[in-house]
Amino acid sequence: MKKKVIASLLIGSVAFLWAGDFNAQAEKDRKALQEYLEKKFADRKNANAFFPYSTKDELDKNFKWGIKGDDFRLGSYAYNIGGKAQYEEMNEMPPYEDAVDAGKELYENEKGIKECFPDPAIAGDYPKFVKGKGVVTLSKAIVSCAKKNNLKDWKLTKGKTAKLEGYFASVSKEKGKKVNIVIDSKEAAEAYERGKKEYYSQRGYLKLSCATCHVQGAGQRVRNEYLSPLTGATTHFPVYRLKWQGLGTLERRIKGCNKNQGETPHKPGSTWTSELLYFMAYMSNGLPVDGPDIRK
Amino acid sequence: MKRLLTFATIAAFASGVAYADTDLVKEGEKIFKTKKIGNCIACHAANGVKLDGPGSLGPKLQGLSAWPEQALYDKVYDPYTTNPISAMPPFGKNGVLSDHQIKAVVAFLKTIK
Ligand code: HEC
Ligand code: HEC
Repeated sequence: MKKKVIASLLIGSVAFLWAGDFNAQAEKDRKALQEYLEKKFADRKNANAFFPYSTKDELDKNFKWGIKGDDFRLGSYAYNIGGKAQYEEMNEMPPYEDAVDAGKELYENEKGIKECFPDPAIAGDYPKFVKGKGVVTLSKAIVSCAKKNNLKDWKLTKGKTAKLEGYFASVSKEKGKKVNIVIDSKEAAEAYERGKKEYYSQRGYLKLSCATCHVQGAGQRVRNEYLSPLTGATTHFPVYRLKWQGLGTLERRIKGCNKNQGETPHKPGSTWTSELLYFMAYMSNGLPVDGPDIRK
Repeated sequence: MKRLLTFATIAAFASGVAYADTDLVKEGEKIFKTKKIGNCIACHAANGVKLDGPGSLGPKLQGLSAWPEQALYDKVYDPYTTNPISAMPPFGKNGVLSDHQIKAVVAFLKTIK
């Protein structure tokens, strides 16, 4: 009897160790990234090293210092005082509220949706690695559910999918859910590594990497636009962008940033995009789900 | 090939392509400011030049009038030659800007004090 208990305890801890193993590198990466960003935004004193080309005036007046952990879910609004003020103004009458209601409507009434997603508080659990399928983003899961049920007009980037995601996000947020990306197999860890590699690779005719703008460049400006950090980049999707005048998914946003680096956008739903998002979402693990939100 | 190119640009400078040409300066300034062409303004402010919201990914450009034209040309053509980890895109090497366009940009950069 005793022996059996010990054996099962052992098996339990071995399994635990294994799960820990597959995401060990990702955990290391996530912590290192967050440490780097926290150091970068710790205080005005060291700012010149991290923001060599920012003006003294903006560093003195427009930056909030001492940014940590959960703060990063706000993107650039975590540190950009002027931008935050505008953001709060926009948030007084959130333009996404109707879309969330529409999403709830779809959830309740469209055929088969509820069966695919019995629990709507799942915004923080995607992307997932599924054996045999690879990385499945929330948008992909939704669109394939719609296909299975012969529903029309479900795209990966906007429209009904974004609305349903908006509903999922708002339920998840209400329930205090956190981003919870799982890497529990060798294949999953490999997909993560490929996503990471793409994130840090220079691409497009401008030879920019995502990291140039969102790690090293976080807090610097492209024109007037303060760049957001990789930590917290995915927590608040879908977002209502003024530029879009509607909700869009992460897939939609990535397309735009591919263009920023002078690259023909990768297809939403492609392995490339999904693995990139798997890596990005892992970098926000443990942060609160905070969608939907507004961005310029 | 690279040598040939460098030679060609030196020759162009030596033969006195009209770098003081105001039209060329204007063309360069336009490339500097236009999103679809050079879009240097995305990353750079420029001393003494009024720009609408220049970025801060790159340094504020100043004192460039003292740079040799060739050095400016090389920087825009391929910043990695002098800085292998530069965050600046290689505009010439990747064919974003033509030889003529880079010369126009250089003419504009030469006016930056
Ligand atoms: C030339 C600079 C540049 C590059 C390169 C770039 N981006 Fe961006 N990105 C921006 C700007 C500007 C914004 C809008 C301001 C912001 O929120 O950061 C943005 C916004 C984003 C956002 C939305 C953040 C939010 O809080 O809503 C995501 C996600 C994103 N980028 C991902 C990427 C990915 C992935 C790549 C690489 C494939 C990439 N970016 C490459 C400039 C860039
Ligand atoms: C994505 C950002 C980015 C863009 C776009 C960009 N640059 Fe730069 N530039 C930089 C960075 C970063 C540096 C500093 C590192 C270096 O010298 O390579 C730099 C340096 C320079 C320098 C050297 C300045 C000095 O004092 O040492 C010049 C000249 C220059 N850029 C001109 C241009 C021109 C002209 C364009 C457009 C055709 C342009 N840049 C576009 C990021 C950029």
